[in-house]
Amino acid sequence: MQALGIDVLFKGTNMERIIEGLWVSVRISLIAVVISIVLGLAVGALMTRENIVIKAVTRAYLEVVRFMPQMVLLFIVFFGSTRVFGWNIEAEIASIIVFSFWGTAEMADLVRGALISIPKHQYESAEALGMSDAQTYFYIIIPQAVRRLIPLSINLITRMIKTTSLVMMIGVVEVLKVGQQIIEANRKSSPNAAFGIYAVVFLMYFVACWPISMFSKYLERKWN
Amino acid sequence: MNFEIMKSYLPLYKDAMLLTLKIGWLGIFFSIVIGFVCALIRYNRIPLLQRVVGAYIELFRNTPLLVQLFFLYFGLPNIGISIDAQSCGVLGLALIGGAYMAETFRSGLEAIDKIQTESALSLGMNGWQIFIHIIVPQAVAVSIPAFVANIIFLLKETSVFSAISLMDLMFTAKDLIGLYYKTIECLTLLVVFYMIILIPVSILGSIVERKVRYASFGD
Amino acid sequence: MKKNIFRTIGTLGLTAVTALGLLSGCGSKSADTASAKAADTKDGSADAVYRTLDEIKESGTINIGVFSDKSPFGYVDENGEYQGYDVYFANKIGEDLGVDINYVSTEAASRIEYLQTGKVDIILANFTVTPERAEEVDFALPYMNVALGVVSHDDKVIKDLSEIGADEQVIVISGTTAETYLTKNYPDIKLQKFDTYAAAKSAFENGTGVAWANDNTEVIAFAAENEGYTVGIDSLGSADTIAPAVSKGNETLLKWINDEIVTIGKDNFFHKDYEETLVDTYGTEFEETLVVESGEVK
Repeated sequence: MQALGIDVLFKGTNMERIIEGLWVSVRISLIAVVISIVLGLAVGALMTRENIVIKAVTRAYLEVVRFMPQMVLLFIVFFGSTRVFGWNIEAEIASIIVFSFWGTAEMADLVRGALISIPKHQYESAEALGMSDAQTYFYIIIPQAVRRLIPLSINLITRMIKTTSLVMMIGVVEVLKVGQQIIEANRKSSPNAAFGIYAVVFLMYFVACWPISMFSKYLERKWN
Repeated sequence: MNFEIMKSYLPLYKDAMLLTLKIGWLGIFFSIVIGFVCALIRYNRIPLLQRVVGAYIELFRNTPLLVQLFFLYFGLPNIGISIDAQSCGVLGLALIGGAYMAETFRSGLEAIDKIQTESALSLGMNGWQIFIHIIVPQAVAVSIPAFVANIIFLLKETSVFSAISLMDLMFTAKDLIGLYYKTIECLTLLVVFYMIILIPVSILGSIVERKVRYASFGD
Repeated sequence: MKKNIFRTIGTLGLTAVTALGLLSGCGSKSADTASAKAADTKDGSADAVYRTLDEIKESGTINIGVFSDKSPFGYVDENGEYQGYDVYFANKIGEDLGVDINYVSTEAASRIEYLQTGKVDIILANFTVTPERAEEVDFALPYMNVALGVVSHDDKVIKDLSEIGADEQVIVISGTTAETYLTKNYPDIKLQKFDTYAAAKSAFENGTGVAWANDNTEVIAFAAENEGYTVGIDSLGSADTIAPAVSKGNETLLKWINDEIVTIGKDNFFHKDYEETLVDTYGTEFEETLVVESGEVK
């Protein structure tokens, strides 16, 4: 183990720090996902409207998110917002803003897809049964849409956790940065720590994401 | 905004874009190959191999590319395996992309109803004919949207190559900011160049999607 | 009824989109206004990005940008504490100001950016004073001497930059003076750039570059701490100094730091700092050449 540098992890509070680092990543993702779901539902419902202006705006928003790498967005929000508006945003807040901005677009697209996927005859049958529009919406459409949505939005959580590895680039000390710091502080005593530490970080991400994606797969199978 | 400065940066950004494209497309090419092979293995439930492939897919779908690259580039040399930065980039992208593509292709294959195979069998087609003429064309049509999304995802993922010293667009922008402190100009160019790379893919994707959607749904 | 629901949802959504759109637009769309704003800040207008000395004292916390992966100047030890030559000084600043310190981990290339956007009050991250940087930030009095140095592998020691072959690569860290110097004066040398110290060192150890060019303090430390490396060139470029930096125009804080450096220099503070943090790496032989006391460069 010594040669691979795993032992370094058990020095001092290193283990605690690296787990704390992972928690920073998970925390950013969870907050962003909650915001994304709330905003995504609203934007998604909006996108099913036939209004041309709304269509153009939401379409543009979706496209921006689609082809802008998250890293670019992080830089723009973290540094750009201060330069342009004079807002001083903390790195972690900037990350949450960017992740929510991205997540809302993804969620909205999913919501729109889920709403559209409900066949027209369901609306018509409901109407024929004498249900009001609100009743149709709450008893027929939403329950079906939600079933399609939940697995996909859980999936979004894992994608966000993975993308948090980028936030170290704007100075958030998360699991990867802690890994680097540990490698650096112990360069003299364990020159080969890079292998062990990066392998551990790799596995930690896996341990954080895999159960969540399994859960989402399970729900998907159960409900479809 | 200083357009003179931006103009003087253009050649650097152009080089960076070419590098991004080169590594990006090489990685995507290999990821399609890996993904296709893995999807076939899982679809045909080849014993043992399907377990290995399954583990690979889960492992790489549930970890970030940046961490994979760090491990490949900085970790592996400690046990005597050195790979240069560009190959690492291609390898990393191919591995993560392969895992995504495999899932996309597999769900495409599995989306085809069993009835179709049965009908084809009753028409006297053999297994290979069924696969080539019945399953694959439909599976491709079904996978296209996810496939295009994967390609865009992978091209965007190239932005993390900067961490292993590849002079891609992201790194060029950051480096120029560090050298000359022209933040706004550098970030603007960065956005523009990513748009140059990704908008055509996005447009092409929606055209293809529309075409195959026609072919796939008979009703 | 249907319409009402949709309208409510729609209004909510539209608000969200507008808000988000505003955020997203800040980089590209509003870029024209940015230069104007930047100019304002330089004139020291009301909405300056920095916090004055009084504001810092009032808040009870000072934000100091340091390296977290650059041993022995700024790094994090196994207990999660920031340590090193820069950090030792930073701790003193916090103590004498009577405020808590919030350490912000920075990378070389973003040091200027952090000050210009007011995300830290002081940068104490081995920041070499250069005329180009001095146009963007304000430097206080120096506390260390520095030049550039080049370290290479023992089996092929590079004593002169001309020994570097056309297809060989030299490792540098993005945003450092070594990068600027080599880019300007040796445009033919191929550079392999990394954004963190940790990454650059790992890559150098793995043999991806024939040499690593950086501050001489840093490469000397590296050769001292690791077997198999020799500093073939220990002084390159001009002799420079390292100093704390504050946001452009933050005069109250700048003056306080300058006074502090002069005052603590009387007790030979930086010699003590050297003996606490650097002696393990450099021994005592570099003490007089590296340390600058009271801002007086000999």
